[in-house]
Amino acid sequence: MHRRAFVRLLAAAAASAKAAGLDVVAKGPSTRDLERSLGAGGGLEAGLQIRTDLPPLKIVSRYSPAATPGMPGPFPGRVIRVKSDRCVDTATNTANDQVVREMMAQGMRALTGAPTTADAWRRFFTPSDVVGIKVNCGGYPNCISAYEIVAETVRQLTGLGVPVSQIYIYERFQNQMDECNYAAHVPEGVQSVAAERANRNTDNSGYDPETYLEANLFGEEDTRSSMMRLVSKRLTKIINIPNIKDHGASGATGCLKNIAYGSFSNVARTHQRGKTHTYSFIGTLASMEPIRSRTVLQIMDGIRGVWHGGPFARTTKYVFYPKQIMFGTDPVAIDRLLLDIVDNERKAHGAISIWDRNPNSLKMDDTRARDANPNVNIIIREPGHVEYAASLGLGVADLAKIKVQELTV
Amino acid sequence: MTAAVLALVAAVPCLYWTQGIDSRPTLESAGIKRLCVPPDQVEAWRKAGFNVTATSDADFSAREALPVPGTTPRPGVASPTRAPWIVASGWRFMRAPTGKYSYTVPAGKAALALAEAAAYGGDVVLKIEAADVPAAGAMLTFLDSLPTLDLPPAADFGVVDDGSAITAEAMNLLARRNLLFEIEKAPAARYRINVAIGTAAYPAQDAADPSAFAQKIRAQLTDEQRSLRIYGSEVVIARLTSDGKRARVHLINYGGREIEGLRVRVRGTYQGGDAYLAGTGKAALQDQVVADGAIEFSLPKFGAYAVVDLR
Repeated sequence: MHRRAFVRLLAAAAASAKAAGLDVVAKGPSTRDLERSLGAGGGLEAGLQIRTDLPPLKIVSRYSPAATPGMPGPFPGRVIRVKSDRCVDTATNTANDQVVREMMAQGMRALTGAPTTADAWRRFFTPSDVVGIKVNCGGYPNCISAYEIVAETVRQLTGLGVPVSQIYIYERFQNQMDECNYAAHVPEGVQSVAAERANRNTDNSGYDPETYLEANLFGEEDTRSSMMRLVSKRLTKIINIPNIKDHGASGATGCLKNIAYGSFSNVARTHQRGKTHTYSFIGTLASMEPIRSRTVLQIMDGIRGVWHGGPFARTTKYVFYPKQIMFGTDPVAIDRLLLDIVDNERKAHGAISIWDRNPNSLKMDDTRARDANPNVNIIIREPGHVEYAASLGLGVADLAKIKVQELTV
Repeated sequence: MTAAVLALVAAVPCLYWTQGIDSRPTLESAGIKRLCVPPDQVEAWRKAGFNVTATSDADFSAREALPVPGTTPRPGVASPTRAPWIVASGWRFMRAPTGKYSYTVPAGKAALALAEAAAYGGDVVLKIEAADVPAAGAMLTFLDSLPTLDLPPAADFGVVDDGSAITAEAMNLLARRNLLFEIEKAPAARYRINVAIGTAAYPAQDAADPSAFAQKIRAQLTDEQRSLRIYGSEVVIARLTSDGKRARVHLINYGGREIEGLRVRVRGTYQGGDAYLAGTGKAALQDQVVADGAIEFSLPKFGAYAVVDLR
């Protein structure tokens, strides 16, 4: 390879709290560089109980980590939770734009300690940045990244001097972006892009063939999941705007899964016939450079949520209203809170926990049964993927170490 | 390489056409110049300038009929996008390279059947629907445009063919998984792996699940040691021919949809090459990387068939 490249082998058997399973097998940054990167921000936790029955995962990337990677960034273990009863009209499912703006302003100032909202955003972005906004369209039409949050994010970026032509709202699938149509809610010139026309595994040109995670999970021929070219070749910073949602494979989907499975190809292969490899796959994708270094801000849209049947929300049957937005740079800490939010809502409805591994709850691949009954799993879920991500240095999973500052608007 | 294989490489599939000479404009507008026609029509088609071979109904029926190539739904067994069920006959051509074959294909399948036959150099006559004449003509024109390059098939292991059905199904799944093998009469010393079903190493009960059996061979071979890998699709089957200095990769897309950005890895000392894409023509290899004893490249959008010549 004429360009510098490095390959990391994540051998599951060697996964440990110190992420010692990483093995540098090709030229590039040294082992010391990688360990420093993984440990940046003090994200590595002692005492994590990481499973060892995991498939080998091989990372191939020629990108080096930033001095301070965006995840967990400058605020490991810190979450700002802004709540407002007025942020959404639950009768119409309509968000209140003014209230959302105020929630965002207070959240960003609290996260950074900046005196003004503009200063808070300036902490992360400069006018020369090319900024990606990773939205989540999977829950259309009832629970997607709120237009109000996305629009306010764009407003703040342009206010700092970032040209609209350098702002990209992105997802993997163009048909989902077309449905959600963020372009109608942001200034003309903001880019709306996707890597593939639809989820049909026929369009790979939007992915970087030299930046991928390789694994043979179920005997599939295509063993690579490649990073979007937009992410590896164009963006300098990424803002991650996921939703609070239940997920049939990973237990719940938030920051980690949105940035990982939403920025790489060929990820649906990780679950098949009742089993999923999301436990290690999600965090490993998120740990790959350059996405790890460039994802500098997490804005968890908890205005609406999905407590069962996720990540989809074609009906309102399982939609609920946490009425909150969380801010941070640590995706693990926010997702650890997310697990409890989804699980508590499920408990309130008498549904089995996202941690349930009882085979009697499993109706393999029977999505109709799952959609009809919240006590049905179609896959044994893996909410432990959040803790695994902590073992890779992506953030703090221990609730006792997560510092949550709560604000009310 | 055997003389038989060399001869078959040059074989070009032939359309079995029973319509009268008044259908000439349809064929000419599709660029079709070669036909297999009933004996009583041979003279008329020759006078019209076509290259024809006399083929009676009996001749056609005497050929081994091949299944319609493509993907097919198999609820509970296969998933359309993740693990599609592919109907492919490449292994049949490999097993009986001097055989005579036929396809009778519905509309929409002519190009794929032609591609499959051409990729393996099979002696094939096809019966197609009239609606497929333009697609068939385009594929035949594409096949005619390919540079001549006769190279021996490349393989990573051997399969001892005992003529049994269970070995046949194992070969089907091995080919389906892009595991390159040579069919042999006895284990060959040049291969680290020689699969002989019914032996202690490869008991027949293992081969009863041919998909799992193919995975077993894949694990023994290891992905790193495979001469060819395909990324970005589960519905493309490849055939590789090579003399060590040059190689030709045949890529047959069974999915029925165009594929863009297919990634191919070929082990060897190749430094570059050219792609020939059905429907598009000659194209440059994209995102080419030569490293670690292999060449990797991506392909622009193509339909049923692509050929890549490496040097």
